[in-house]
Amino acid sequence: MCLRCYELNRRSLLVGGGAVAASLTTGVAQARIRPADMRPLIGPGFRPTDRDEIGLWQQMQRVEEEVAGSNLLIKDPELIRYLQTLIGQVGGPAAKDMRIYLARIPEFNAVMFPTGFTVIFSGLLLRMRNEAQFAGVIAHESGHFLRRHMIRMWRDMRRKTDIFAIGAMVAGVAGGATGVNTGDITQLAQLGTILSLFRYNRTMEAESDAMGARLLAENGYPAMEMATTWEQLIGELNASARHRRKRRDRHVGLFESHPSPEARMADLKASAAEVTLPGRTYDNRRARYLQAISPIRKMLLDDQVKLNDPGASQYLIETLARDGWNGLLRFYEAEVWRLRNRQGDDHRAAQGYAIAVAYPDAPPEAWRWHGLSLMKAGRQAEARAALSRYLAMQPNAADAPFIRQMIS
Amino acid sequence: MRHLGIALALALSVPVAGCVQTRQFADLQFTPPQGDYRLLVMRPDVTVNSVTTGGMPEPRADWTEQARANVINALRAQQAARGGKVQFLTRRNELRGVSEDTVADLERLHSAVGNSIALHKYLGAYLPTKPRRGLDYTLGSEAVEVGRKTGFDYALFMHAEDSIVSGGRVALQILGIAGCFVGFCAPNIGGGGQFAYASLVDLKTGDVVWFNVVQTGSQIAGIKMGDIRSPAGAEQLVERLVGRMKPGRDVRRTMERR
Repeated sequence: MCLRCYELNRRSLLVGGGAVAASLTTGVAQARIRPADMRPLIGPGFRPTDRDEIGLWQQMQRVEEEVAGSNLLIKDPELIRYLQTLIGQVGGPAAKDMRIYLARIPEFNAVMFPTGFTVIFSGLLLRMRNEAQFAGVIAHESGHFLRRHMIRMWRDMRRKTDIFAIGAMVAGVAGGATGVNTGDITQLAQLGTILSLFRYNRTMEAESDAMGARLLAENGYPAMEMATTWEQLIGELNASARHRRKRRDRHVGLFESHPSPEARMADLKASAAEVTLPGRTYDNRRARYLQAISPIRKMLLDDQVKLNDPGASQYLIETLARDGWNGLLRFYEAEVWRLRNRQGDDHRAAQGYAIAVAYPDAPPEAWRWHGLSLMKAGRQAEARAALSRYLAMQPNAADAPFIRQMIS
Repeated sequence: MRHLGIALALALSVPVAGCVQTRQFADLQFTPPQGDYRLLVMRPDVTVNSVTTGGMPEPRADWTEQARANVINALRAQQAARGGKVQFLTRRNELRGVSEDTVADLERLHSAVGNSIALHKYLGAYLPTKPRRGLDYTLGSEAVEVGRKTGFDYALFMHAEDSIVSGGRVALQILGIAGCFVGFCAPNIGGGGQFAYASLVDLKTGDVVWFNVVQTGSQIAGIKMGDIRSPAGAEQLVERLVGRMKPGRDVRRTMERR
């Protein structure tokens, strides 16, 4: 009799363990979340009252202290004021409580922390073609804060690891010496590092997308631009992978434990259609955006082309140029070729520099490289003229003495 | 019979399952500060977590603040008996003649250096390029600059983490020990414990001249070898950490020869 009980216990345990394991997986496909259902869960001036959230906030305040003092930050006061204004527009009810930091990291990413400060990577500024696209990302990040994703994630994770630990222990004890392996619980504990909190699960991302689309439209931006952002990113990742003859890496920055970009794009398109009101005019405010980032746009392009990712850089420059070429974009297009240095790239780059200097806003370096290319081609007189132009524009350049000697 | 044996073995293992380890490292030429020295005690970096049933560390704001205050008080009491002139920084903007940013930079730098020392000297990731003996780390010219501007001889940095297991995890532990009687033994799910280190930086050279690590812990969740949430526990940790500074090897040898 008891032996049978034992057998029964063991079987039910295995079933129970299977159920626990199943409850831990989250990879189930889900329906799109509708923007209309996304109401902010917090109001202005939110302060945590629960014990676990207070602890999280205290820790994050220390993190913010460190972030605010980081030497990676771009501190251009006018630009920061502009970014702060934007988050003040699309941040919903908590708009006035949110802080924004701009870090000089040439990647497409942005992170929202649970206390309402966000770190924008400079690579994101470069990729956005207009204010609507950028505001879309900020609105998405605000969505994480407004929907309290961090603490919800933490509680979810704590609940699951608790269930797992209790389940494993109860199963082990009840299973006795029957060979039920409880696994290494300490490994699970490692799951709980604070960093893993930044990886929201798919539902949270979908919520933020829906919330973002809604905030964007409410502020008079075309919500469809959010989908366009993803379209551009998918294109860039594909171009980068194609150039390296590899398949697209699905674990980059924003994608980690996020829905697939294609699914996201489709959902965003549907959401955008839902929040767009007929008769209302929407403006992407491109001119204002370009004006705001103009002081650092050259630096952003420079950081990008030096990543040694020619596939992505070229795609990116071509995408930005869909709104019109200029001297800066032409110069960096040529820089991508020069740095790529494949068969025939030197000629391609030389032509690129020649085209760049035809624009009135060509940067001094375009004249420099144009001159050096001409010199290489044996066209000394023209080279001298171009290099003189470079020196006239940048008399204190680090290499000015060398260039002067070359043309004297 | 077998179960009884396991239970006995467990009962024997309980006393040795918890332990307190300290290990000092010092510059070979290090002599503990004596007489009329000026010491700057940096803001201690204290964190207290609660360990959930599932084993995840959950930051606790109230415990952390309480523990930080206790540690600062214990340090004050401990240093008062030493004789040097001591200033305690509880905020980054309290150091005259040095900007808040510089203090922050120094703290960050020390956090990187201190973690490296703990990792490579104590936690086992030994570096083949570093000598096993002595201490070969420095905060460099920035620390010297701070010393020159403020007139301090030494800076003391301190880092302390304490993890307190929650009731749920203790219950889980009891279940694990009870399981030993039916043949499933999980006597050591652990989870709690302290990890702390202190380092003394010579502000004349910028070098880390003395470093001490304290690690307490027990394999059994619920058995605590110290708790910095209480004044007594913080005193105990401070005593373990900076109570007795041993001189460096060369200095010790000279003293022995005499």
